[in-house]
Amino acid sequence: MSLLRLQDVSKAYGGVRALRAVSFDLRPGEIHALVGENGAGKSTLVRILTGAVEADSGTVEIEGRRVEHADPVAMRALGVAPIYQQPALLPDLTVAENVAMGLERGGPWRRIDWPGRRERARQLLARVGADIDVDAPAHGLRMAEQQLVEIARALGADARILLMDEPTAALTDREAERLFERIRGLRAHGVGVVYISHRLEEVASLADRVSVLRDGELVATREMAEVDRNELIRLMVGREIQALFPKRTVPRGDVVLAAEGLGCRASGIHGVSFDVRAGEIVGFAGLVGAGRTELARVLFGLTPADEGVIRLRGAAVRISTPAEAVGLGLAYLPEDRRRHGIIAEMSIAANTTLAALRTISRAGFLDFAAEREIAASYQQRFAIKAPSIDAAVATLSGGNQQKVALARWLATRPSVLVLDEPTQGVDVGAKAEIHGLIVDLAAQGLAILLISSELPEVLGMSDRVVVMRAGTVAGGLDGAAATQEAVMTLALGHQPRLSA
Amino acid sequence: MTYERGLALCLVLEIALFASIGWNFFTAGNAGEIVRASAEIGLLALALTPVIVTGGIDLSVGSLLGLCAVVLGVTWRDAGWPITVAAAAAVVAGVVGGGLNALLVARLGIPPLIVTLGTYSLFRGVAEGVTAGVRNYSDFPESFLFLGQGRIGVVPSQLVVLVAAAIGFWLIVHRMAVGRMLRAIGFSPDGARYAGLPVGRRLGSVYLLSGMCAGVAALLYVARLGQAKADAGTGFELMAITAVILGGTSIFGGRGSVGGTLLGLATLAVLQNGLRLADLPAELAGVVTAALLLAALGANRVLQGRSRK
Amino acid sequence: MSLITTHRRELSVAAAYGVLLVALILFAPAFYQGANLRDVLVGAAPVLVAAVGMTLVILARQIDISIGSQFAICAVVAGMLAKAGLAMPIAAAGALAAGASLGALNGVLVAGFGLPAIVVTLATMVGLREALRWATEGVWVQDLPPGFQWMGFGQDVGRFAIPGLALVVWALVAWGMRHLAAGRAVYATGSDAEVARLTGVRPRRVVFGVFVVMGALTGLAALLSAIQFIDVQTNSGVGFELRVIAAVVVGGTSIAGGKGSLVGSLLGVLLLATAGPALTFLGSQAYWDRALQGVIILVAVAADAFGSATRLKARP
Repeated sequence: MSLLRLQDVSKAYGGVRALRAVSFDLRPGEIHALVGENGAGKSTLVRILTGAVEADSGTVEIEGRRVEHADPVAMRALGVAPIYQQPALLPDLTVAENVAMGLERGGPWRRIDWPGRRERARQLLARVGADIDVDAPAHGLRMAEQQLVEIARALGADARILLMDEPTAALTDREAERLFERIRGLRAHGVGVVYISHRLEEVASLADRVSVLRDGELVATREMAEVDRNELIRLMVGREIQALFPKRTVPRGDVVLAAEGLGCRASGIHGVSFDVRAGEIVGFAGLVGAGRTELARVLFGLTPADEGVIRLRGAAVRISTPAEAVGLGLAYLPEDRRRHGIIAEMSIAANTTLAALRTISRAGFLDFAAEREIAASYQQRFAIKAPSIDAAVATLSGGNQQKVALARWLATRPSVLVLDEPTQGVDVGAKAEIHGLIVDLAAQGLAILLISSELPEVLGMSDRVVVMRAGTVAGGLDGAAATQEAVMTLALGHQPRLSA
Repeated sequence: MTYERGLALCLVLEIALFASIGWNFFTAGNAGEIVRASAEIGLLALALTPVIVTGGIDLSVGSLLGLCAVVLGVTWRDAGWPITVAAAAAVVAGVVGGGLNALLVARLGIPPLIVTLGTYSLFRGVAEGVTAGVRNYSDFPESFLFLGQGRIGVVPSQLVVLVAAAIGFWLIVHRMAVGRMLRAIGFSPDGARYAGLPVGRRLGSVYLLSGMCAGVAALLYVARLGQAKADAGTGFELMAITAVILGGTSIFGGRGSVGGTLLGLATLAVLQNGLRLADLPAELAGVVTAALLLAALGANRVLQGRSRK
Repeated sequence: MSLITTHRRELSVAAAYGVLLVALILFAPAFYQGANLRDVLVGAAPVLVAAVGMTLVILARQIDISIGSQFAICAVVAGMLAKAGLAMPIAAAGALAAGASLGALNGVLVAGFGLPAIVVTLATMVGLREALRWATEGVWVQDLPPGFQWMGFGQDVGRFAIPGLALVVWALVAWGMRHLAAGRAVYATGSDAEVARLTGVRPRRVVFGVFVVMGALTGLAALLSAIQFIDVQTNSGVGFELRVIAAVVVGGTSIAGGKGSLVGSLLGVLLLATAGPALTFLGSQAYWDRALQGVIILVAVAADAFGSATRLKARP
């Protein structure tokens, strides 16, 4: 019997059909991967399974019993436990309380058993091999720790069905490997896992079966062993994708940006030295937490450096605010698009010109015609899919939002472009388009720093790779020397890698 | 846009209603009265519009008005300064008070609601302390009182100040790059910082401006009533905020317009004046205002919900 | 997590209060003579009761600025019921019920319709105040039965009972916030309402609930205040909301929700209530009381901001 069975499930949001007659099943002890481009309907499916939204039609069965009127509490009681990419913990409450939330039964006037809560949290955390202070508030935990807390909670609920949505997005490789180990362990206990990920390598190594969603329809379910990567990509996008990394060789110019012994105590980086030439793409690789985003924030004046020198075209500069950085020709496409990269409620036009207001204003007054012209030209050049440049950016897909965020920086005519995870959470099609744009920009003479946790992306896109470890540069690798193994060796340092 | 039109329609209906039932309502003289009575709150409401557009709030403007009025009285009568210098000193006091808010909000990053709750007590408290709670300054020169009681042709002198301020704030919020920055900050302070905008300086400037307007409003207030006391402008902050919210500016920041604020202000001012002339209880104004505020929130939600889909 | 890091604000407010009390011993021992301290406590009791409710409201990431108007209505309700010849316990219950109903009105608008609390309660603040003035035409409720003042227990008992009752309410709610699921749900809702919902808390119900509790406690505060006098004013409670919010903020409850404690609020109420009278005993004039309140609020929040800034910089 199936642990979970969906039959012809459909869901529409205000006329937009997010899921169309999807049928899907999960067997006990199975890891069933769910892949698809952004907007294909994966998150809607997860939201239905967690009870966050109700399906418009179709049936959901758990262990053969049909579920009526699902809500988060009911679904949890039926053994469905979601583990989110951004763990859903309550930041001000302690770990023990977070574990207890949702596990305890009873009305609002029941008494809280604090010693019991702590003891139970300790036991559950021990089962997932996590050493976490149960009295610490959740906001102080690292992402990987937060995920372990969530899994501990799921175990506490005797979850039979785990829903994992991009659980490794914020983890280091080693943390991810440990997580896989836990997931495989759960499988042996008859737990079924619905595993959603953009990382096809991960899916291939972990899943038993894979289902592909495209435009709200489930287009295929296959045994993992019988399908290869290219076929999966074809199923996801419904078309062939040519060369994934359109690298072109560009004549390198002079050194534009150089850092010498750069450090910032508050963000834990020190002694960082590197340079980037015009027309060059320098990849920054390293584990999550190695200090790459922190370095970008220092360069952009968000957390100013307190030691070392930044040189632009040879001249030492001081960058203590983002406004100064922009004035010097630096541009930073941040990692967290929705919080930092765009202003979702504002229009495409306003977002495009936000960092370059000076260029569209005279004596402080906005020139609306100039603004529309600039925004329209980027919409065309980047093929931003939107009804008009007056549309709020919130209404666009992730990939198109990212293009607007990128357009904002090109409108400032920068000489240095720092890209932090530029294709994270972007679907396969848009990813290729963004890669193409980056290569074009380098060809136009921009000096580009590319931070990415996807090793194939760093290797495929960069002329050179700088590897960071523990807040400083562990080494640089040129062209052919930059292989996965070489990068990982530098990134991990001399410690032997923990066996999985 | 649509919201503003709805509000304008409400205002027209309101005027028509009072014109039909009120005595002497629909006259130029009464229009002048309405302007006179609402000029100070209008000035504060205009200054609060950019503040609320940034997602902030300034509860201290009424208290600061009182403090500036006291500064005017103290410098003119007690220190014997010429009235123009004393007036300048009152406006400077407003700027200093606004500067304190600006410092605490923009530099230390304390929520504006809390900061201005503190300065709300502080400014009024200093005014009370300086005047020992009771001292009252009056007998200001005719030339100064003209600002609050005179007319230029048929136009009450406050109207000139109010119109100038309205044009200034309209330009800032709707036509200048600064206004765009304020909106961006209102929608997402982090997003604005990551776009390289000088968030702290912009935030500071709206509180400074609001303090300055409180100073100018204090001059209008003292000139209109002919006296300066520590309790000047009590409760004005709430009426000004009400006018801004009624005008469609979102308390969450980002959305808002100066035109809306003026419409909101006019709706409230006409309501109070009209009820009085129609011999209806003045308390009805508060009840209707509350209903209008809630209706405004509801209408805005419906409109935004529709535009989002 | 040591007590010092988790309860910084409570400790520093307690320290400030301690310094104030010691300064009074050294420089103005007269403060401790006679009925002074008792009068301070009697005066602070209504603020404390309302601050308990406001702490819950702010912890749930809401705000209620209408309680000054609610306060006036509840006091009038108690007075009118007593005057109509009803027994005092019934009049008292009437005040609480009136408060709870007004709180429910806010609660429906905020939790039911999803409107922002600050604007909703601004509207009810203005609307309720004016409606009361309309209904009573500003006339005080006079000629109350003798059993009204001090609830018939007399001044001596009353002056003990009022702060005593306020402290009992405070202690009960403080215990419940820590040890009952409902209390934790308030913290969870203020910390992150959407996450709380996913773990089975019902944030809308919680928000509705805290507004009702806020209203009921405002009713109690109004009652505890009204029975200290012979007549019931119809314009009482002007500015009450800001005094209460100030006490809660000084006590360290975060306006962003989810963080804070009733211990802090108690200390905030005491500090703000003692500072004014202490000022006069230390030789200053009473007119500066309000300025001092403002300074205390600003120093408390600014110290926090400075503290967190230096802590961030010091982190390796």
